[in-house]
Amino acid sequence: MSGLPVEPPLAPPAELLYRRRIDLASDVRDLWRERTLIRTVAERDLRIRYAQFLLGPVWSLLMPLITVVVFTFLFKRIGHLNTHGIAYPLFAYVGVLAWNLFSSAVSSGSNSLLNNGMILNKLYCPREVFPLAAIVVAIVDTTLSTVALIGLFFLYKTAPTATAIWLPVIFVVELAFVLGVALAFSTVIVYVRDLSQILAGILQAGLFLTPVAYGMDQVPHRYRFAYCAVNPMAAVIDNCRRVVLSGRSPNWNLLAPAAVTSLLVLVGGYVLFRRLEGGIADVH
Amino acid sequence: MSTDGTVEAFRVWKRFRTDAQRWSVKTQARYALAHLRGDTDEFWRWALRDVTLHIDPGEAVGLVGPNGSGKSTLLKVLTRVMRPYAGRVEVSGRVGALIQVTAGIQNELTGRENIHLYGTIMGLTRAEVARHFDEIVAFGELEDAIDRQVKFYSSGMQMRLGFAVMAFLDPAVLLVDEVLAVGDAAFQQRCLNRMREVLDNGTTLVLVSHDLASVESICKRCLFLHDGVLQADGPAREVLGAYRTWIETMAEALRNTPGLLRLLKVGVEGIEGDSPRTEEPLQVRLVLDNPRAQETSIFLGISEGPATPIFVLRRTGQLPAGQQEVRCNLAHLPLPEGAFWLWVGVFDKGRRNGLLPWHPAARFDVVGPKLMPAPAGVVRLSPVHVEAEWDVGAA
Repeated sequence: MSGLPVEPPLAPPAELLYRRRIDLASDVRDLWRERTLIRTVAERDLRIRYAQFLLGPVWSLLMPLITVVVFTFLFKRIGHLNTHGIAYPLFAYVGVLAWNLFSSAVSSGSNSLLNNGMILNKLYCPREVFPLAAIVVAIVDTTLSTVALIGLFFLYKTAPTATAIWLPVIFVVELAFVLGVALAFSTVIVYVRDLSQILAGILQAGLFLTPVAYGMDQVPHRYRFAYCAVNPMAAVIDNCRRVVLSGRSPNWNLLAPAAVTSLLVLVGGYVLFRRLEGGIADVH
Repeated sequence: MSTDGTVEAFRVWKRFRTDAQRWSVKTQARYALAHLRGDTDEFWRWALRDVTLHIDPGEAVGLVGPNGSGKSTLLKVLTRVMRPYAGRVEVSGRVGALIQVTAGIQNELTGRENIHLYGTIMGLTRAEVARHFDEIVAFGELEDAIDRQVKFYSSGMQMRLGFAVMAFLDPAVLLVDEVLAVGDAAFQQRCLNRMREVLDNGTTLVLVSHDLASVESICKRCLFLHDGVLQADGPAREVLGAYRTWIETMAEALRNTPGLLRLLKVGVEGIEGDSPRTEEPLQVRLVLDNPRAQETSIFLGISEGPATPIFVLRRTGQLPAGQQEVRCNLAHLPLPEGAFWLWVGVFDKGRRNGLLPWHPAARFDVVGPKLMPAPAGVVRLSPVHVEAEWDVGAA
């Protein structure tokens, strides 16, 4: 047809078809090798963000404070919510911090492959780098916001309780959940972009469907286990308050189902990511 | 280190979806149905078919072929940006890819921040970027602009920034896709020089370009890709020859394309009907069948294989109806010895509608002195013969 000599077979033999092996150990090794890159990409995102705004990092402090002011007005002044002796702004701020880490990590992590399409389509680097860097950025942001929390502690003349040493355990559960959701969504969004909008909607609803502004005591006892199994963030936020503000150790009955769900989401997200990641340059 | 820089592809296949509206629910539903039936072939087209190649470390290989033949896809598969549908690809060592040098550049960041970011993405450590930083800035001539945000750079400066980082990547394999087409002449020359240096250091080079002259000047070996199939693989001269012949065959097929105006006869002659000679007169004769009297622009062009003409001539004016003979005389033919193509095209007044599409109409040979060679690594834009007298004496 083309008048050229070489005429290949019509289709490749089945045994040559490319199969992606899922190898956790080698993936982790690859990622460790790319830690500089994760750091650089995270730094880039932070720089871009702070370079575009006059107040730069101050926004990381201001945004959660504004949310807390609104919550205080709505739930304390109008709703007369009972926080069992804890100052409401402190109560709400801890919840908002944990929630903001989740929601900003998930939304920027999930859109990271889409937003870095130019790079992904032309240069090779392990793709996990982008969702991971987005999560790093969210963690840095949240760390900056804790400065305001310290201020609130001074204002109400209290201090975090000693049980706060449990925080890292709770943090690990949250991180596993965030990572799983971000990995899953980041690849799927490249194929089905509508999900980006849907996810934004879910996150917005989640702020009120999770005990951020109110406490776990608003949820009937018999539903709490199922509630935390479906929404690990409920257990994460409730336990953050317990260990930081109430001086009690974590409620394992709620943290355990949340941890199991988070782990399942992480494994599922990772497998989905591996499955879909190979084709993103084709559709971008 | 000795095995670093080998490129190996074994029976590589790659396919893409064909549907125009990939994202519509309707298309997706049709695809899902076809998937259930187990026959989705109509939704795919092959971009690469059964491509096998082996490139040794330090080799410089040119990759040529018409648009859409799969050159860029092959490069993307080699860089691992795309995964093959079938087959194996193995590239040992660090891969540098000049596929679209501005791809990794972030507008909001300064030139300095971009160099660090880009370098790390390409696999350099922070220390390595820092070590080469001044060289990169100097190569890209970005000294004055380095702390300015890249969005305020000109597009040429962005290009230079991208290329400069790549140039100092020191990869084991360098893949280059059509980047020489941009940038001013001086920068292009510097890129070519840098490519030579990189080659001398033992880097493997794969160069994709439509500029056959620069491919020939850099690469000893060439690959000719057509419609996703590797048609030829061998010494540059032979493969480029095969590619040029193929272009000519295609042009031949185009020649009888119907237009509003018909070209009945073409002739290219020197004095008294001889073969044209360098520096001597040349006459082009066309016989056109013109359906109605109209204002036309008649274009003539001379090319050497690829479609880019060496020079173009134009005559604008009234063309009477009926069979018309058009003669065009050149007093001194500025071409060296070789085979050339005459291109013809006729357009109406606004030059919007082609009355006779621009196409190669005749092949002719020029007798005369050979084209003088250029220094290694220097690409001449056009093979033009210029008479010159030299005089060397004590100053």
